Amino acid sequence: MITWIEGGLLLFVVLTALMTAMLRDVLAAIIVFGGYSLGMAILWVVLQAPDVGLTEAAVGAGVMTVLFLVTIARTTRMTGLEVTTVDVNWSAAVLCVVFVFAVLATVPALPAVGAGPEANPAFGEVSSYYIENAYDDTHVENVVTAVLVAYRGFDTFGEATVVFAAGVAVLTVLRREVFE
Amino acid sequence: MIEGIGIGTGGTGSTLLLAGAVGVVFVSVLLLGRVMLGPTMQDRVIALNVIGSNAVIVIALLAGAMDEPAFLDIALVYALLNFLMSIAISKFTVERGGVL
Repeated sequence: MITWIEGGLLLFVVLTALMTAMLRDVLAAIIVFGGYSLGMAILWVVLQAPDVGLTEAAVGAGVMTVLFLVTIARTTRMTGLEVTTVDVNWSAAVLCVVFVFAVLATVPALPAVGAGPEANPAFGEVSSYYIENAYDDTHVENVVTAVLVAYRGFDTFGEATVVFAAGVAVLTVLRREVFE
Repeated sequence: MIEGIGIGTGGTGSTLLLAGAVGVVFVSVLLLGRVMLGPTMQDRVIALNVIGSNAVIVIALLAGAMDEPAFLDIALVYALLNFLMSIAISKFTVERGGVL
């Protein structure tokens, strides 16, 4: 029964993604993109990742919609194109589909979900090392936090830089909207 | 696991809840037709609002079927976001430019 829910959600997500790419009217595409985010967020919940689902809904459906609306409010939007679609470059579309299937062909080579360390050598030893030694090494009680801020501190520093730059860019776009 | 009616993983009650969730997802796919065809922007906003309500219902049904009460918090957040999204788009179409 879960498979049916996942299948329906995947159909929904693919349809909304196609419509977002094809619709010529920008406002309609933004509305459909909000639907895409909602479908994606339910999919994360079905796959037992509720925190990712929350982020997807807050960022995809909430912040992105408002940001896109502010963007077209400050530029221009052609009207009177209600259900027309963009002209598709078919050779590029076929190339994209071929590329997707080439990437999908590598999926059977991945180790099975939940396979032990013998099938999955890259993760077997590292995760048990973190779980056993994280507190002695870093004195941080949550092992996920320990990995993020101690073992991979430089990665997190780069991420924080990117998030800060994105925040500054968003404030630049929103400034007139907020401070007028 | 709620005894008697089989709510929880694997019981008949949870199968019923999952079947309901499948139905609601199917309705959401059909609603995409209204989002695509329009014809006015108001039709699209209302259709998206219904899709968002369907998302809340699906997550609430999944919370019952998988016996995960924490999912209900996510359903609440979605309900709030759904309202915010509809208001933002409606406000944009009525008073051109004002979003926040």
